[in-house]
Amino acid sequence: MLEKIARPDQIRRWEGDFPVRHRYTPGVGGEAFFTALKERGVLLGSRCESCAYTYVPARLFCERCFAELSADTEVGPGGELVSFTIVFQGIEGEPLDQPEMLGAVRLDGADAVLIHRVLEPGDEPLEIGERVELVLKGENQRTGSILDIEGFRVAEA
Amino acid sequence: MARRVAVVGAGMTRFVRRAQETGKELAWEASREALASCELPLDRIDAVCLTSAPDAFDGVHMKGEYLSDGAGAFGRPFIRTYVGGGSGVFTAIQAYYTVASGMADIVLAVAEEKMSSTQPHPQGAFLTIFDNILERPLGPNLLWIFALEMNRYMTVHGIDKRDIAAVAVKNKRNAADHPAALLGQADVTIEDVLASETLAWPVQRLDVSPISDGAVAIVVASEEAAKQITSDPVWIQGVGWNLDTAYWTNRDLVFPEYVANAARMAYGMAGVTEPRKQIHLAEPYDPFDYKELHHLEGLLLFDKGKAPEAARDGVLDRKGDLPSCPSGGLLGVGNPIAAAGLMKIAELFWQLRGEAGARQVPGTPERGVAQAWGDLMQVGTVVVMGREGGPPTTATQLETPPAATPGQSLSDAEFRSAAGAVDDGIGARYAWDAGVAIGGFLDGLREGRIMARECRGCDRVLVPPRMFCERCFRGTDAWKQVENTGVVQTFSICNVSWDMQPLDEPELPAVISIDGSDGGFLHTLGEVKPDDVTIGMAVEAVWKPVGERTGSILDIAHFRPRKDA
Repeated sequence: MLEKIARPDQIRRWEGDFPVRHRYTPGVGGEAFFTALKERGVLLGSRCESCAYTYVPARLFCERCFAELSADTEVGPGGELVSFTIVFQGIEGEPLDQPEMLGAVRLDGADAVLIHRVLEPGDEPLEIGERVELVLKGENQRTGSILDIEGFRVAEA
Repeated sequence: MARRVAVVGAGMTRFVRRAQETGKELAWEASREALASCELPLDRIDAVCLTSAPDAFDGVHMKGEYLSDGAGAFGRPFIRTYVGGGSGVFTAIQAYYTVASGMADIVLAVAEEKMSSTQPHPQGAFLTIFDNILERPLGPNLLWIFALEMNRYMTVHGIDKRDIAAVAVKNKRNAADHPAALLGQADVTIEDVLASETLAWPVQRLDVSPISDGAVAIVVASEEAAKQITSDPVWIQGVGWNLDTAYWTNRDLVFPEYVANAARMAYGMAGVTEPRKQIHLAEPYDPFDYKELHHLEGLLLFDKGKAPEAARDGVLDRKGDLPSCPSGGLLGVGNPIAAAGLMKIAELFWQLRGEAGARQVPGTPERGVAQAWGDLMQVGTVVVMGREGGPPTTATQLETPPAATPGQSLSDAEFRSAAGAVDDGIGARYAWDAGVAIGGFLDGLREGRIMARECRGCDRVLVPPRMFCERCFRGTDAWKQVENTGVVQTFSICNVSWDMQPLDEPELPAVISIDGSDGGFLHTLGEVKPDDVTIGMAVEAVWKPVGERTGSILDIAHFRPRKDA
């Protein structure tokens, strides 16, 4: 069998890459969601009445019963913090100058949760179950991207 | 004892160059149509089998999980399989054995492909099918492998390119009657094919199927369930699949033995003893026009080298003795890879039920065969389907399936400007270890020697060398230096790069069998005019100067005609 490698620098190796990039269309459901976000500053979900479930972002179909759906339900801007994490390292394992907070939020009127940044947490520790609200970029800065949402901030009590 | 299994429903999207829908939306559209065709709600589905070709097309790791909701997999047993181009037919095989085994009564089988996401060209996703160390340094692209196989097939059998072009013409004309087709063309001629741009000789533009987005789904049921669902099930009578050696440069490029093995397995299960009499229509895999002919021979429907005459003489036409690709195939309907394979199963379903409308082959065909092929041109997947018990009962009432053709096509401008579209790159880099056998081979190249491994189990001298023999499944026995000379098994004259940009100077890829061995490898030819290259030409390795060798396949600069020959 193979011997233990004492000099890894002597291993014969080839370096390579995967020289492709990708461009993703948002699809039928996604296009309705991003158009409303950009133009009207609202988040649209899709309600499946027979499953009593509201998806967000909007979807073309219900994964539970396969019904066709439309972007028919405005959700938020308030919501409930379902969970959160605080990220201290970047993708290469490097320490971050400023830790990032990510939250899973169930927006009012939705059953699905949305993941985004948590902004301005303030001095009080975050608590699961507390009220948060959406922060959007200004109308002129919105491009039709998930980053048109700045994030969530803890709602004023 | 395996249970009897039938296809009871089918649906598909339009095959388009660029779909507005996401992959999961395409999968849902096809799945919903398949369920509607047999009036089943999703909650009757016991399990879901999904296929989609490389994750690299989408840049989405675990694409099966990504597509699962569109395939109806939520809350169900679910598996994604992948055997390259063979995937679409294989997912029907998997649905078959999931039901035949009694694991499920009704299975939804879904095949989706969205190739348009890959930038700048989907061929980039195929670059890593070539050996990272022995082949990628040569800069191969996917066209090479087809051109090399096509050239050898044509040369060994003395085939006229016109007879191969006849397949492209037939399929594009057939596709003109398909509501989901991307490249249907009722007036295309052999002259159009022969006048199209030469990409990698002998492959020309119209010999090749188009890059496409689309999805197909079928509903597969046990005998008991099938008879409740429909009065006209189409039975899966036999399935087969088979793999050739992973060393494609060691393979017989003239005849696809792995397809023949898969066909024998499927025919045996189906009780087909004389396929030329008992098979009434075929949907062989046709990503390139010659491949349909190659595969018809592999399916044992024609003698070796004789399928091209059948194409020329109209035998394969929709009204011929053996209609082949009455759908229009990949060349005409389109080639969203995994979906294209399952489209062939769907076409047999519609044809055998007498529901194919303008595409319907005459008579009442009772049995057909569908086939696909993939991985590194080495896997054959075959399904035999048949209708039993009198003429179809549902023929006249239905619209021509696919009854609806969901799937929204975007123009290039719409694709580039779509609101909410996202550009991304994986950004990963890799380092590949050479390993023991290839490490020894590369050490030899640096010394100006071509090194092989001997297998005394089967008395072969293996090039490229490996530490185990894949036939005997035992360790190989010894290193052996072989000659620096060889014979051109096949070659191409390639005019384009992988992203389909024209090259200033054509490249001359060739498979060289190495003298004194039982194998060979891919390299390029030099010091020769393209027009002077022939299959069977004796060649010799031209080494880089000693100081420039690094232990790489590129230590051989190229092969040239032997000076002493």
